[in-house]
Amino acid sequence: MRELQEDPAPGSSSAPRRRGRAIVVTSGKGGVGKTTTTANLGTALALTGAAVALIDADVGLRNLDIVLGLEARVRNHVLDVLEGRVTLDDALVTDKRVPTLRLLAAAQTREKDDVDTEAMRALVDSLRDRFDYVLIDCPAGIEKGFTNAIGGADEAIIVCTPEVAAVRDADRVVGLLGNRTSIKLIVNRLRPDLVRRGKMLSVDDVNAILRLPLLGVIADEPGVIISTNKGEPLVLDDASATGAAYRAIAGRIAGTDTSTPEIPLPPTLFQKLGSFFGGRR
Amino acid sequence: MSARRIVLTSGKGGVGKTTATANLGAALAKRGKRVILVDADIGLRNLDLVLGLEKRIVFDLVEVVEGRCQLRQALIKDKRFQSLAILPAAQTRDKTAVSETQFAEVVAGLDELCDYVLIDCPAGIEHGFRNAVAGAAEAIVVTTPEVSAIRDADRVIGKLNERGLPIRLIVNRIRPDMVRTGDMMSVDDVVDILGVKLLGMIPDDEEVIDTTNRGEPIVLVPDSHLGEIFEKIARRLEGENVAFTTLTAPGFFGRLFGQRKAG
Repeated sequence: MRELQEDPAPGSSSAPRRRGRAIVVTSGKGGVGKTTTTANLGTALALTGAAVALIDADVGLRNLDIVLGLEARVRNHVLDVLEGRVTLDDALVTDKRVPTLRLLAAAQTREKDDVDTEAMRALVDSLRDRFDYVLIDCPAGIEKGFTNAIGGADEAIIVCTPEVAAVRDADRVVGLLGNRTSIKLIVNRLRPDLVRRGKMLSVDDVNAILRLPLLGVIADEPGVIISTNKGEPLVLDDASATGAAYRAIAGRIAGTDTSTPEIPLPPTLFQKLGSFFGGRR
Repeated sequence: MSARRIVLTSGKGGVGKTTATANLGAALAKRGKRVILVDADIGLRNLDLVLGLEKRIVFDLVEVVEGRCQLRQALIKDKRFQSLAILPAAQTRDKTAVSETQFAEVVAGLDELCDYVLIDCPAGIEHGFRNAVAGAAEAIVVTTPEVSAIRDADRVIGKLNERGLPIRLIVNRIRPDMVRTGDMMSVDDVVDILGVKLLGMIPDDEEVIDTTNRGEPIVLVPDSHLGEIFEKIARRLEGENVAFTTLTAPGFFGRLFGQRKAG
């Protein structure tokens, strides 16, 4: 890490060869928070000095640029690179706030079928030589865009909300991911009050079905909508609980945080009794 | 008499297409209309779950297309409404298992069986989208008041315009308190940007999470204001002129008396 912090231009072609990690952020179901998660984890990892490239694989319906507030700075996109019109350096957009973070935007006026899956895999592979982390924001669904997005990744993060439909879709995606070296889970948009009242699945309910190592849990917060509208990831806000949760997840990804993920749950009666009788707090 | 064939689509996932399809279908059925809901999300079906019909599935859309069962055999009657049925998607196949022509043929086959065919489109604008749209003569675009959802909706509206489908808009998951503080776009803003006719506006409400998990249509929940909203949307779809009421954040008295207005 130290060596990387001293790197004057992370991700530039003159930077020393690395072997970064390629992680796809996927879910099956749309609207569960893949893009928000990609933006926040990418920003959080870059804040620690790591060189991070984010790829928006949602050709035709890109949004990662908006969530990062970079939409006005996108000049070229991933298909321009894949089709040889521009170099990678001409397409990578440097983040406004975190200099070690780069975005490779998706083409907005093209189709996912235009992307050659093998070329995409090769692109991710070449990015791994220049970045510590390559995070790929996968589109919803399990069509060609999904195949393109997962091709170059050897790790996957499943984002799932505590809803039966999202869990069912996530379970299907875990099957399709096959033998990745690592598939881990983020449970997003948990509402502890609804869980307590039995109106929402708990993290345990979700993971009883998915059975994945838990990277972290994010509580539902209206601040996420505001941050998306502003193009300002919450990890940049020290006062935001969501930002802190994403920073903790980034730490677990990097291996610097070995703590067990905290589940934002109000204490149950059993837990209260447990602590009363000298059990674990 | 031929059925109205309407696709519910959005571009972005998770904005409420499936919930809207299920509840609008139930609202139309409650009015005595014969309604068939088609799940076009092959491989990631969920409409069956939202209506609590997942255990009753025997055949699916792909099996109809492949001639392994009759269309009528694949239809699953709703538990609560006699005149509501769903045609489930296959779960273990992918969207390329059905062509646009085949999809349109299946939907055409439903024509004489009902008054409304509502097609629940998958997220995205890939093959599954093209199939769902191929079966439809009208479109309802569902969006939320968020920049990313609106950008995707705009792209989808462009694609629907290319096909000449009439489009109406449902703005979902509005939070009047956030609109008031300027942290969320208003419905007027959304309608201005997208330039399509408004069919309904639905506030963000945790009731949806619960009823969806339980597989129960909201129009059956007594005194549910979301149920009322879907009934209004159904009436508008039927050509009735139902006025929109402003969505307001509940003030002190509103909270006290449980008053909530919505369109």
